[in-house]
Amino acid sequence: MDITFNIGGEAGQGIDTIGDLLTQVFVQAGFYTFTIKDFESRIRGGYNFTQVRVSDKPIHAPVDYIDVIVALSRDAVIGQRDKLVEEGVIIFDDSIEFDDLEACHYPAPLEKIAKEVGGNIRMMNAAALGAILSVIKFPFKLAEEALNTIFGRKGEKIVAGNVAVAKALYDLTMEKFTGTCRYNLDTLESGPCKDKLLLTGNKALALGAMAANVKWVSSYPMSPSTSLFMDIVANSRNLKIGTLQTEDEIASICMAIGASYGGARSMVTTSGGGFALMTEAVGLAAMAETPIVIYNAQRPGPSTGLPTRTEQADLFTMAFASQGEFPRILLAPKDPVEAFDAAVRAFNLADKFQIPVMILGDQYFADSTMNVPRIDVSGVKIDRGKLAKSGPDSDYKRYLLTPDGISPRAFPGDEGKSIVSSGNVHREDGHITENADMRNKMVAKFMNKLPAIMKSLNPPELYGDEGAEVTLLTWGSTWGAANEAMHILKDGGVSINHLHFSDIYPLRTEKLRKVLSKSKQIVSVEQNVTSQFAQLVKMATGISVHHHINKYDGRPMTARWIVDEIKEAGIK
Amino acid sequence: MTTPEQLNPPQKVTWCTGCGNFGILAALNKAVTELDIPVHNLVISSGIGCSGKIPHYIGSLNSFHTLHGRPIPVGTGISMANKNLEVIVHAGDGDTLGEGLGHFVHAARRNVNIAVFIHNNGVMGLTKGQFSPAAPRGYVSNTSPPPPGAPMAPANPVAQAITSGATFAARGFSGDQKSLVKLMVEAVKHRGFAVVDILQPCVTWNRQLTWKFYNENTYSLQDNGHDVTDRMAALEKALIPGDKIPIGLFYKVDAPDLAADIALPEDVPLKDHVTNLKDVQKIIDDLMI
Repeated sequence: MDITFNIGGEAGQGIDTIGDLLTQVFVQAGFYTFTIKDFESRIRGGYNFTQVRVSDKPIHAPVDYIDVIVALSRDAVIGQRDKLVEEGVIIFDDSIEFDDLEACHYPAPLEKIAKEVGGNIRMMNAAALGAILSVIKFPFKLAEEALNTIFGRKGEKIVAGNVAVAKALYDLTMEKFTGTCRYNLDTLESGPCKDKLLLTGNKALALGAMAANVKWVSSYPMSPSTSLFMDIVANSRNLKIGTLQTEDEIASICMAIGASYGGARSMVTTSGGGFALMTEAVGLAAMAETPIVIYNAQRPGPSTGLPTRTEQADLFTMAFASQGEFPRILLAPKDPVEAFDAAVRAFNLADKFQIPVMILGDQYFADSTMNVPRIDVSGVKIDRGKLAKSGPDSDYKRYLLTPDGISPRAFPGDEGKSIVSSGNVHREDGHITENADMRNKMVAKFMNKLPAIMKSLNPPELYGDEGAEVTLLTWGSTWGAANEAMHILKDGGVSINHLHFSDIYPLRTEKLRKVLSKSKQIVSVEQNVTSQFAQLVKMATGISVHHHINKYDGRPMTARWIVDEIKEAGIK
Repeated sequence: MTTPEQLNPPQKVTWCTGCGNFGILAALNKAVTELDIPVHNLVISSGIGCSGKIPHYIGSLNSFHTLHGRPIPVGTGISMANKNLEVIVHAGDGDTLGEGLGHFVHAARRNVNIAVFIHNNGVMGLTKGQFSPAAPRGYVSNTSPPPPGAPMAPANPVAQAITSGATFAARGFSGDQKSLVKLMVEAVKHRGFAVVDILQPCVTWNRQLTWKFYNENTYSLQDNGHDVTDRMAALEKALIPGDKIPIGLFYKVDAPDLAADIALPEDVPLKDHVTNLKDVQKIIDDLMI
C-alpha cells in the first residue's frame, strides 16, 4: 500500500487541519506518513494544498501521483488533476458549482453534514476524513479508534461529534460514490509502523536546540524559518530561554553574539535574505571566537524569490559568507530524525571550536511532516568545550595561543578575570594590535582548529554497493527522493548507489574519493541550478561530476522525477 | 573597591593629542571608581571608530569591541545573558547615529538595562573627517557636497532617546569632568536604557565644534531649573534651537526594563541556567499521538 491524498483549497479554509487529521489517523493506525505543504505567500485565498503520502513501508519523500484529491475550492478541483492516477477520485464539497463532472468526481455534502450531524462547521475535517476513508474502503473501526485517541483530550462530546460526522459521510459515500479507487482496503488490519511522533524539520531542530540547552534565541520572522523560533518562544517560559523578536536580522545575530560572549548558548533563525543581513556579524563571531548557531531555512532566491517554496541554493553564500577567512561548520540534516541530532551537535561543535556553526534547511525540510520514533533525550550530552579554571586569574587571556588553536573560555562576571574580545585583530589578552607577527599567529590559531573540526564531522553515508557504476550524489533534504529513486533504478537493473552528505562543510573527502573513484557516472542531484555541492566537491577533490540533475522551480523533488531525468540523460 | 591602578591602560593610547576622548576616558575612570561595582561585573561594548578603542585604554574591565553601529545589540545580548552585569556601550556619533540608529531607537523602546555613552564630535574621525550624522547642516568636509557642505540637519540623540522611550537621557561635555562623571555614574546606576550624549571636539578634523566653541556655548540645564520627570519639558529642552547648548540630565523616569518581561530565570543569570532534560522529554512526549 502506497497511497497519496491531496487536500486543496484557499488559504484559511482549513486544508492543513484536514491533512493533519488524516495523517494522525493513519499514524495511529500504524502507517508511515509523509506530508508536504504547498502554499502561496498570502494570508487568505489563492490555491494551496497539503499532500499526505501513506505507506506500510518507510517513506521519506512525496510522490507526484495522487489517489484522492479533496477539493475545498473550484481551483482545487482542477489544480492537481493531471497528477491523479487512473482510478483516482476527486472529492469536493457539493456547494462548489462544477459542471464538467466525470466518473472520478464525487460531490460530497461535507459542510452540510458537518453542520447537521456535528452542529459545527469546524467538523468539516471529520466529514472530509469520512469521505476519504470511504472511497478507499478503509475499515471505519480503525478510524474510530484513532479519532478516539486524537480527540480524547478534548472531551467526550468532541469525540462523539467527530466520530458521528465522519461515520455519516463514510456511510453516505459508501452508498452514493459509484467510482472505484485503486486501493480497496476493506480487509486492512492496523499497520506495522510504531512511530508516533509527528515532526517537521523545523520542529525537530527546535527540540534539539532546547535539549542542547539553548538559552538565547533572537530572530526576525522570515519564512520558512519562523516556526522554529515560534516553537522555542512557546516553550521559553517553561524552560527559561531568553527570546526576542528584534528590529532586524543584524540585531538578531549581534544580540546572540553578545549573549554567547556572556555565556549563554545562542542561536538565530532566518532564511537567505535575513542571513544576508547577518553576514558581517558572522565574521565578528568568528574573529571574537564567540560560538553561535545559525539556522537558514532556504527558499528560492535571489532577493525575495519564492518566499514559501524550497531551494538549496544558499550553500555557497553560507560557506563563504563574510569577509576574510575563518573556520566554520555547515550541517544540512536530511530529515527530522537527523535534525534533532544536528541541532545538539551544532551547539556542541560551536562551543568546542568557538566558531559559527550553520544549519541549512529548506522549506521542504522545514515544513514537511513525517512520523518518527519517540526521541529519547536522556542521551543528549552537553559539551561546552574548553573552559578556564574558576577563580581569580589576573593573567587570564581570552585568546591564549594553544597547539589546537582553542583557548579556554571564561565569561564576564567571573571574579578576578577580565574577558576582552574584539573584532579587530588582537593579542592573546584580547586587546587590539596591528603587529604582523601576532596577526600571523592568530591566523594560524584559526587554521590549527581545522584538523579536529574535520574529524568531528560525519563522513558521507553510502547506500547500495560500493562498486556500482552510477552514483547519485546528494546533500541535505534531497536525500529522501534520491534514495527512493536509487531503489527504483536498482530494481530496474541499473548498477547504482547513492552517496549522501549531511555534514557538508568543510568537506570530508576520504570516503568521497573512495566511492567516486569507482563510479563511472557520478550524478549530482540538487535543488538548485548551478550544482553548488558538486562544485564544492570539485574544489576540494578535483573530481568532476558527470551529470547534473537540478530542480529550481521551488517545488520538492520526487523519486519519479529523478528517475525520469536520469533516463532522459541516457544514464544506464 | 576599585583602585585607579587597576584601571591603568593595557596599551598605549592612540588618540590625537588634545582629543576630546581623553576627557571621556578620564571621566569613565572616575565613574568606575565611584560606582563601587566590582570590575568583573562591568562590561564595555564598543563600536568602531576612535571611540570604539576605549576598552583597550582602561584596564580590568570586561569588554567587547564589536562592529560599526552594533555595540547596542551586542550589549543587549550581554545584558540578557547575565543580569548581574552592568553594560556600558561606548559608541561614536557616526557609529550609533548612523549605521546603528535603528538599534538605538529599538533599544530605547525596549528599555534594556544598558548605559550608552555617545562620543559625539560631529565627524567620522578615523576615516579622516567626513561629516557624521551629528554634523550641523552646512558642515564642510571631504565628502559633503561643495558648497554648502552637509546637506541635511543633524541627528539629535537626546531628543531621539526621549521620543524613542529611553528612561534616562542626558548630555555631557568632555571638558566638564565634574558633571560628566556624575552623569555617567547615574546612567550606569539607572535601571533601563540610559543615554549620555557626550560632546567632544575632534581636534584634528573639526574646525567648527572646538574646545573653545563648547566652552563658550554650553550651559548647565540643572542650574536653570528643569523637571527631569516631565517628558514634554525634557523634549522641549532637547530641541532648543540656537547656539547655546544645555548640558545635564534631561529626563529620568522609572519603567519596567526588558529583562522584566522576557523569560529569564528569576534566581540565576541566564548563562547559569540549565534546562531540565525531563522538561524537554515532556514536550516531546506531549507531541506523541
